[in-house]
Amino acid sequence: MLTVLLQQGINGIVVGSLYVLVALGLTLIYGVLVQINFAHADIVTLGAFAAYFFTHAFGGSYLASIGIALVVGGALGWLINAAIFAPLRDRGSELLPLIATIGVSIMLQNAMLAWFGPIPYAFDTPYSEHVIRIGSTFFTVQSVLIIIVSTTTIGLLYAFMKFTFLGKALRAVSQDRETAGLMGINPNYLIMLTFVIASALAGMGGALLGPVLVMTPFAGTSVIVKAFAIVIIGGFGNVEGTIIAGLLVGLIESYTTQFLDPGLIDIVVFALLLLMLAVRPTGLIAEKREENV
Amino acid sequence: MTELLATDGLELAYGQTPACRDITFHVDDGEIVTLIGANGAGKSTTLRAIAGALLPRAGTIRFRGQDITRLPSYERTRLGIALVPEGRRVFPFLTARENLELGAFKYRNDKAKVRALIDKVFAMFPRLSERASQNAGTLSGGEQQMLALGRAMMSEPYLLCLDEPSLGLAPMIVQDIFRTIRSINTAGTSVLLVEQNARYALATASRGYVLQTGSIIASGPCATLKEDERVRHAYLGRSAVEGVSERVSR
Ligand SMILES: Nc1ncnc2c1ncn2[C@@H]1O[C@H](COP(=O)(O)OP(=O)(O)OP(=O)(O)O)[C@@H](O)[C@H]1O
Ligand SMILES: [Mg+2]
Repeated sequence: MLTVLLQQGINGIVVGSLYVLVALGLTLIYGVLVQINFAHADIVTLGAFAAYFFTHAFGGSYLASIGIALVVGGALGWLINAAIFAPLRDRGSELLPLIATIGVSIMLQNAMLAWFGPIPYAFDTPYSEHVIRIGSTFFTVQSVLIIIVSTTTIGLLYAFMKFTFLGKALRAVSQDRETAGLMGINPNYLIMLTFVIASALAGMGGALLGPVLVMTPFAGTSVIVKAFAIVIIGGFGNVEGTIIAGLLVGLIESYTTQFLDPGLIDIVVFALLLLMLAVRPTGLIAEKREENV
Repeated sequence: MTELLATDGLELAYGQTPACRDITFHVDDGEIVTLIGANGAGKSTTLRAIAGALLPRAGTIRFRGQDITRLPSYERTRLGIALVPEGRRVFPFLTARENLELGAFKYRNDKAKVRALIDKVFAMFPRLSERASQNAGTLSGGEQQMLALGRAMMSEPYLLCLDEPSLGLAPMIVQDIFRTIRSINTAGTSVLLVEQNARYALATASRGYVLQTGSIIASGPCATLKEDERVRHAYLGRSAVEGVSERVSR
């Protein structure tokens, strides 16, 4: 029994840390723009395909393909923002960019459908075969890789936000864009940077998720639904909350699979979401704020 | 004296709603100039236009001989304009120190300079150094005003624009803030001061402009404005003016 708990705990954290990678991008974009980016899912999918073709068609190594997916994701984020979102924002509309993210998402999905077809691809990595055994728990080298890559990435992102001038500027833009402009910060540049970072994380998440996803042009959608839930449970725009909520959802998923039924995962996750909205609408960690006048 | 800032026929609007028209005024090097007026007169709107947070519909703004009318706010900061916005607008979830650092965003590649500037602000407001690692949102109103003022000074501006620095503060703290504004000016920074508290403003500045429903209706040296019948009637209880000017100048 204890072994099962431990084993599923490890599985949950592996899956959860992938969700965190995807959800953090949504959180960052939400924090800066107060806007949900529906196209985020498709960048996850494109990241997975970029890694797939790099390894399976060009014979590249899986490790390098993670970096490729990161770059492809970041470049896509830059392109989509520069070509579509930024011009719409300049026109001062609140609703148009949101609708545009849905439009971009549908466009990307159908472009991928045209190129890649509807049949799932089998994404094999050399690391999924190697099983490590410690005591009576098992995990693959792939899981270890996922944990290392995502922990490192999250740590780097955290340090960037906390200790660099640009990271502090990013937080300032998300708290008060006009005042950030008065500090000499170009908000448009930081919004662009946010899209690039968020999309790079999504692309990389795609490369790590590829081997466990049913890899079709719609693969990202299944992940993004949970990522949305995670962003809400973590408190919109709250980075720490998102990390905790992501791991929590990963654990819920793996324990539900073990003790209930895999078909119930979404029901349990979204029941938690509704519960959170009812009892703590500000999310797991409410930002500490005392109003003093 | 050389001209630092000059506006000519500014017309300001929020969307289609006009807020100010024909705003023409100037600030010379080393001056403290005040804009006074009742609620909704357009004082904040004018300051936001100077800082670039709001682009004018018509008219021009010149700063140190350069036309900055269409320059975005983040470039005006680099040229030497700083604004302490109405309501302080500190970044609530950043620490006091981080707020100050962002004030020096244009010096971000020079760590030693940023540190020296922070030390200067701490010398000006020792209270802030005790609160350095606290989130700005948890500071008291007076501390937040000090932080907003210190943050603006981090960019070493030629022109410091202040939007109602006395708003909601206890009289003791207001006196402190005004004393600091004077010493900042003495050290060489020109000041454009917006105040509802016309007594303090007229006692601190050398020249002033009176705004009413979006237009400048009077201007001149503060000594003259204090005697102006319209100003006295609208903004000053007759007797109190002299008393305050003595207290402030001490
Ligand atoms: N964001 C805004 N959108 C639309 N109208 C605005 C906005 N801000 C100010 N106004 C309008 O512009 C006019 C001038 O407002 P402004 O804030 O400049 O006045 P003020 O002189 O600073 O007043 P107060 O002393 O109350 O701060 C007012 O009629 C106000 O209603
Ligand atoms: Mg105002």
